[in-house]
Amino acid sequence: MPSSDPLPPKESAIFRKILKCYEMKQYKNGLKLAKQILTNPKYTEHGETLAMKGLTLNCLGRKDEAYDHVRRGLRNDLKSHVCWHVYGLLQRSDKKYDEAIKCYRNALKCEKDNIQILRDLSLLQIQMRDLEGYRETRHQLFKLRPSQHASWIGFAMSYHLLGDFETANSILETFRQSQSLNETYDYKHSELLLYQNQILQESGNIDKALKHLEDFSAQIVDKLAVKETMGELCLKLGKFSTALPIWEGLIKRNPENTLYYQKFIEAKQTKDSDEIVNIYKKFQSEYPYSICPKRLPLNVANGDRFSEIVDDYLRRGLRKGVPPLFVNVRSLYQHDDKVKVISELIHGYHNSLKSSGHFSNADKEAALPQEPASALLWTLYFMAQHYDHLRDTTKALEYINAAIEHTPTLIELFVTKGRIYKHAGDLVEAFKWLDEAQSLDTADRYINSKCAKYMLRANMVKEAEEICAKFTREDVSAMENLNEMQCMWFQTECALAYQRLERWGDALKKCHEVDRHFSEIIEDQFDFHTYCMRKMTLRAYVGLLRLEDVLRQHPFYFKAARCAIEVYVRLYDKPLKTEQQVEEFDTENLPPSELKKLRNKQRKAKKKAELETAQAVQAQVKKEQHNKSRQLQNQDGDPEAPQLDELVPEKLARPDDPLEKAIDFLRPLQVLAKECIKTHLLAFEIYYRKNKLLLMLQSIKRAKSLDPIDPNLHTCIVKFYKALKVNGEINEHVRTVIDKETKLLFDGRDADAMNQDVLKKFPNSFHHVLQVARCMYELDATKRNTAVQLVMSFDFKRLTLEDATLAYNYFTTGVFGVCESSANEYKVKCQQRFPHALLFKDQQSCENHMENVKVEWDNDDQQ
Amino acid sequence: MNIRCAKPEDLMNMQHCNLLCLPENYQMKYYFYHGLTWPQLSYVAEDDKGNIVGYVLAKMEEPEPNDELRHGHITSLAVKRSYRRLGLAQKLMNQASQAMVECFEAQHVSLHVRKSNRAALNLYTNSLGFKILEIEPKYYADGEDAYSMRRDLTEIAKELDPEKFEISFGQRTKNPVDHIHHDGHCC
Repeated sequence: MPSSDPLPPKESAIFRKILKCYEMKQYKNGLKLAKQILTNPKYTEHGETLAMKGLTLNCLGRKDEAYDHVRRGLRNDLKSHVCWHVYGLLQRSDKKYDEAIKCYRNALKCEKDNIQILRDLSLLQIQMRDLEGYRETRHQLFKLRPSQHASWIGFAMSYHLLGDFETANSILETFRQSQSLNETYDYKHSELLLYQNQILQESGNIDKALKHLEDFSAQIVDKLAVKETMGELCLKLGKFSTALPIWEGLIKRNPENTLYYQKFIEAKQTKDSDEIVNIYKKFQSEYPYSICPKRLPLNVANGDRFSEIVDDYLRRGLRKGVPPLFVNVRSLYQHDDKVKVISELIHGYHNSLKSSGHFSNADKEAALPQEPASALLWTLYFMAQHYDHLRDTTKALEYINAAIEHTPTLIELFVTKGRIYKHAGDLVEAFKWLDEAQSLDTADRYINSKCAKYMLRANMVKEAEEICAKFTREDVSAMENLNEMQCMWFQTECALAYQRLERWGDALKKCHEVDRHFSEIIEDQFDFHTYCMRKMTLRAYVGLLRLEDVLRQHPFYFKAARCAIEVYVRLYDKPLKTEQQVEEFDTENLPPSELKKLRNKQRKAKKKAELETAQAVQAQVKKEQHNKSRQLQNQDGDPEAPQLDELVPEKLARPDDPLEKAIDFLRPLQVLAKECIKTHLLAFEIYYRKNKLLLMLQSIKRAKSLDPIDPNLHTCIVKFYKALKVNGEINEHVRTVIDKETKLLFDGRDADAMNQDVLKKFPNSFHHVLQVARCMYELDATKRNTAVQLVMSFDFKRLTLEDATLAYNYFTTGVFGVCESSANEYKVKCQQRFPHALLFKDQQSCENHMENVKVEWDNDDQQ
Repeated sequence: MNIRCAKPEDLMNMQHCNLLCLPENYQMKYYFYHGLTWPQLSYVAEDDKGNIVGYVLAKMEEPEPNDELRHGHITSLAVKRSYRRLGLAQKLMNQASQAMVECFEAQHVSLHVRKSNRAALNLYTNSLGFKILEIEPKYYADGEDAYSMRRDLTEIAKELDPEKFEISFGQRTKNPVDHIHHDGHCC
C-alpha cells in the first residue's frame, strides 16, 4: 500500500518495525523506534509515525499525549489511511464508537479495499447495530475475500439480522454445497447446519426447515437440538403421530423438563384433565426418581382427583423429608380451593402424627408401619410456611416454634422463622433469626447472603457488608469486591436501604454502579463478534445479540432505575443544602443549653467525619496499590480502557439538573419495560415537574393502555388536570392536541367529579380510596379532614402490611399536609392490626428492641 | 422444577445464583465465554416462576499436546440451599455430561472441589462416579486445597449409541479434529 507521504527505505523499514512492535505489545520498543524517525529533522512532523507513536502511548495509558500525537499526525497527513485508521482505533479504545466509525470511513476513502479497516469497521457497525452499514461492509469483505469461510458467514449473518431470511439462507446454502465433508465428526459444520435451520424456521417456512433437518440430521452432533427442533416443527405442521415419539424420547433423555411433557400432551391432542393426569402417572412409574411427573399433574387436576394426588405427593415429601416441599407447591396457592385441600390434609397429618405416628387414622387401622419421627417435624415446617404464605403470623409462629422445639438444630427452621417476622414487619427480629441460621453454617454462602439481605432490609448496611466480607476476597473491601463481581442483588438492596435512610448520595452511587454493570455487559459483546464467527457458534451468537439489545429489561436494572428516579425526583423537590449552607446553621436564636448540645453534636460529627476521611484516604491508597498489582499481574488487561468518573455520594446528591439525571435512567425503561405501568407513572412524575404537558399526556396514555383503572394513574390524571388549569398560555398546536385527547380522558368532568367517580366505582379497593383521598387534598386543602377520614375509616382487617405502610408514609411525608395527630391515630390503628410491625411501634420500644438486638449481635461477633 | 439447557438470556441469572451460593465468582464475560463457546454444555434448574435455583457451568478443556483425549470440565455447579435434596445437582451434571459426550466426544469430565466440602464430595463420589485424581494444594484463593476429580464418560457414550461408539471412537484417534482450541483472545 503506497503511503501518501512515503519515507525513504531506511525510515520505512523502521516504521514497519513500529507496526510490528505494536502488534507484539512491545510498546517501549515502539516508542524508541518512533523516536529514531522523529528525531531526524526531515521527518519530525511525519504524520503516520506521529500517529503510531500516539497509538503506542495510548497503550501505555498516556491518553492525553496519545490524542496530541494522533491528531497532529492526522493534520500533517490527511490523505493517509493509516492516520485515519489509527485515530479510529484510539476513539474505539475510548468507546467513542460513532466517532471511530467516521474515522474508519475516512480511512476507507483513502484506501477503499483495505481488509483490516473493513473488518474493524464491521465490528463497530454490528456493535452499534448499524445493520445496513454492516451488510454493506460484509458485502465488501465478501467480494474481496470470497475464499474465506468467515466472509460467507458474515455476509449471510448480515442479511439474517436484517430479516432477509431468503438471501441469508441462499448464501449459506451455496457455501454449504461448496464444502466437502470429510470428517465423520465436525462440530463447526454441525453448528452451521443448525444455524441455517434456524434461519429457515424464522423465515416461517416450516416445511423446508423440517426437510432440511431430516436431510442433515446425520451430520449434526447436537442431537438434543435436532430432536427438540424436529418435535417442535412436527407439532407446528400438525404431524402429531411423528411428534409423539420424539417428545417421548426427549422425556426419557431428561425427565425433569416440563416443556417436554407439555409438548407430549400437545401431541397427544388431549385437553381432558383426567387423561393428562393419567399420562403423568404412566411417566411416574417409568421414571420413579423424577420430580416432574409427580408435581406437574397437581397443576392440572381438580376436585377429588386433586385431593387424591396431592395427598400422595405431600406424604411422600414429608416421609422422605424434602425441605423444598412447600416452595414446590407454592404456585398452587393462587387457587383457593387447592389451598383449602392442602390445609385440611396437613392438619390431618399433624393430628394423626401426634396421636399415633401415622399420617391418618386409616393408616393406623390398617396397621401400616409408623412414619419416621421426622415426619412430624417436616409437617410442622410445612404448616409454618403455609400460614406464613397466608400471612397468619400467629399460627405461622406457633408451628415454627413447635418445629424448633422438636429439632433445635435445623437451619431451615430459623430461616423460616426470620421470614415470618419479615412478612410481619419486624425486620430486626427477622435478621436476628437469619443471623442465628448463618452462624450455624458459616461455610454456606447462600445462608450468608440471605442474612445480609435481611440486614439490608433492616437498613443495617454496614453490618451487611461485614457479613458479606466473610466470603469476599481479603485484599479489598467487601463493597468493592462485590462491585467488581457485579453483585447486583446486593447493590440494589443497598440502594434501597440508603433510600430509606435518606442517604440520597449513597443510594445514587449504588444505582449508578448497577447501571455501569449493564453498560459493561453491553461492552462485553465486542470480542464475541469475531470470536463466534471463528467458533461457528452462530445460534448462540445471535442469541447474544438479541439479549444485549434488551439487556436493561432485566429486573435488576428496573429496580435500580426506579430507585434512582425516585431519589432524583426527591432531590428536585427538596434539594440538599450545599455543604457550606449546612455550616451556616442559624444559631442565634437558640437557648444556651441547646446551643451547647448542638456544639457537642457538631464536634462529634466533625470527629467522625475526620475519621471517615482518614479511612477513605487509607482505602484509596489500598485501592491504588491493588489496581497497580492487578495491572502488573494482568498485562493483557485493557490499560487503554477509559477511566470512569469516580462516584462520589456528596456530589451525586447535589446534581445540577436532577430531572435530566432521572430521565437518563428512565429512557431504557421506556423502550424496554414499556409493558410495565410503573415505567409510565415514573415518567409522569418527572415530566410533571418539568411541566411538559405533552409528555405528561403521553405517559398517561401509555399507562392507560396497560391498565385503565390503575389507582396511581388516576392521581396522574388529576394532577394533569391541575397542571392544565395552572398553565395559562399554551401553544396553539399543543392546545389542539390536548383538547382532543382530554375530551376522551376527562369525559367532560372536572377533577373533583373524576375523583368522586373513582370513589363510587371502587369503594372497596384500598389503593383507589387512598389515591382518591390524596387527590381530594391535592385539589382542595380544606377538605383534609374528609380525605383523612376516608383512609382512616377503611376496614383495617382488609389491609396488607404493604398497604398500611404506604398509607402511613403518606401521613408522615406530608401527602396530607402536616397532620401529626392523624398520623399518630393511624399509627395506633395500624399497630393493632400489625402488632409485630416495627414501623408502627412507638419510638421508645422500637429503639430498645433495636439496641437489644445490636448488643446481642456485637457479643456474638466477639465470640 | 424444570431442567434445561442454558440459553444466553439465562447467563445473567446464573451469575446471580452463583453470587448467592458460592465463594468463587466470575464476571459476566466469563459466563458469555462459556455460553458462546460450548452452548450445549451448561444447564439450569428453574422454579415454577422461572427463577434459576441451580445451574451447572461447563466447558471443554484444551487437550494437552500429544494427548488426544478430549475432556470436559465443570467450571461451577450450584443449587440454592432452599432447593436441596431434590437431586438437582446430580441431574444437572448428568445432562451436561451427556452433552459433552455427544457434542464434543468427551471421554471424561473433571472438576475441583474444596477439601472441606463434604456434601459435594459425597455427591461426586457416591452419586456421580467421580474419583479423586490428586490433591491440588492451595487451589482456592483463600488457601484451601482442592481435590481434583474425574469421571469416566465412556459408559455414557456406550449407552447413548453403542454403534456410534464403535465407529466414532475407533476412527477418532487416527484423525483428530481440532475444533475446540481456545486461543484466549476472548477472555
